[in-house]
Amino acid sequence: MKKGMIQATDAFERITHWLLAISCLVLCITGLGMMFHSFNFVGTMMGGLKSLKYVHNFTALIFIVALYMAVRMWWKEAGVFVLPEDLDWIKAAGGYLWHVDKVPEVGKYNPGQKAFFLVVALCGSLMVVTGLIMWAPLIFPVWLVRWMYPLHALGFVAIFSFFFVHLYLGTIGSPGSAPAMFSGWVTRAWLLKQHPKWLKEMEEHGTLVVYGEEKESIEHGH
Amino acid sequence: MKKMELVKLIDTTRCTACRGCQVACKQWNELPGLKTKNWGSYQNPPDLQWNTWTLIRFNEVADKDNRVKWLFRKDGCMHCTDAACVKVCPSGALYHTEYGTVGIHHERCIGCKECMAACPFEIPKYDRDTDKVYKCDLCYSRIKDDQQPACVKSCPTGALSIGAKDAMIKKAYDRVKKLGGDANVYGDQFVDGTHVIYVLQEKPEMYDHLPKHPRVPFSVVAWKDFLKPISLLAAGGVLAGSFLHYIIHGPKTPDDIQENKTQGGE
Ligand code: HEM
Repeated sequence: MKKGMIQATDAFERITHWLLAISCLVLCITGLGMMFHSFNFVGTMMGGLKSLKYVHNFTALIFIVALYMAVRMWWKEAGVFVLPEDLDWIKAAGGYLWHVDKVPEVGKYNPGQKAFFLVVALCGSLMVVTGLIMWAPLIFPVWLVRWMYPLHALGFVAIFSFFFVHLYLGTIGSPGSAPAMFSGWVTRAWLLKQHPKWLKEMEEHGTLVVYGEEKESIEHGH
Repeated sequence: MKKMELVKLIDTTRCTACRGCQVACKQWNELPGLKTKNWGSYQNPPDLQWNTWTLIRFNEVADKDNRVKWLFRKDGCMHCTDAACVKVCPSGALYHTEYGTVGIHHERCIGCKECMAACPFEIPKYDRDTDKVYKCDLCYSRIKDDQQPACVKSCPTGALSIGAKDAMIKKAYDRVKKLGGDANVYGDQFVDGTHVIYVLQEKPEMYDHLPKHPRVPFSVVAWKDFLKPISLLAAGGVLAGSFLHYIIHGPKTPDDIQENKTQGGE
């Protein structure tokens, strides 16, 4: 670990993220295996489509726990929009699409990240409700069960496509981001670019954790 | 590779509810009889079951003079051309045969029950022990050896017959013309035509469990014809968009840290 790195996430945050991410991806992949005959081979690799269905159904239980943990953990930071700063950010598209001299500073998560969180939280809940009904369809009326399948597919459309935005911006689209969810330690330069307001807040509150420095000595260095 | 589209005609006006077809079906398909219950009707068992692929329904209706009369209807898979069950089946267990009928590969069935919700006639039935769904396959094992389905073979009154699609539809309409009144042909005008059609003495709504306008549920169309392709298109679009963003706008790279205060040129 290099001196001067800043801790962006704690272990709990990373564990929650990866529990959510891995269960979500397993669900997406096994779901595709059932949705398209041309993806049935995913099931073949698991010993048949029936095994794949078990993997899908029981991974969903892990996903439920992870989603609950994630919503509790992130709701305050990523679940609510703060006006007017978030609106200004949206008007500038966060500087992602055209040149913006000074991207409006927003809280820990920017509106784009908030949108992704909300898609995961809301569509994820939709997936849980519809999926559980699809798991035991015979105890519900047919007219209800019938609508669960397109709603499940709708949630999938949203989560799956948004995931690729997230994957891009969490890796090559925003270099320096991925360590936030692996080691948890990021560079000051990345924080300054990605979360300037959050960095300032942490400095003001004295909560900034810098590698190789005592907590008290955060004042010097820039 | 369609061989010849087959249609089974059920002329309910000739049915005496002897239930020979029900027994023949069980015998050929080696389906067990299960304990049933008396629910005040000769209709037995009360509904289609995983082990009962065809069932004579006993409808009691009042005629003009308020006398009770029976309407018999042999219920079972209608073998739709635009079959909702085939559309939704994730494993390819349900499939269209070369005769236009809907077959089922039981070894592929994963017991997801998606077909049960999709079928406009509520035909597929689930068996908990094998965790699979069952329904009539129009005796695929027999028709591919040029044999009639077991039910047709057993029918003593000529209520059941099977043959080339056009010929059977013509036969049905000829029969309806002869019968007159409310008699009608049921099946050829729905879901692109079923491969089991009825000659009904009365209007369809007089019969239990017979939908007036059967169709592939809209939920299935929204799901399979719309959202399913959208899911890949959207994900592909996002991937392409990300790639374009990367090569046109470029990634959001942190500025060089100002820690060494020597700012370069420009
Ligand atoms: C393997 C692919 C993934 C990578 C590389 C990745 C990476 C990251 C990174 C680096 C962050 C922190 C961003 C920041 O602090 O600015 C993050 C946050 C987050 N991730 Fe992931 N992630 C992945 C998959 C997923 C999946 C599948 C889900 C959804 C179930 C998910 C849900 C979230 C959420 C809700 C956040 C919180 C903030 C936000 O909305 O960006 N991640 N991820």
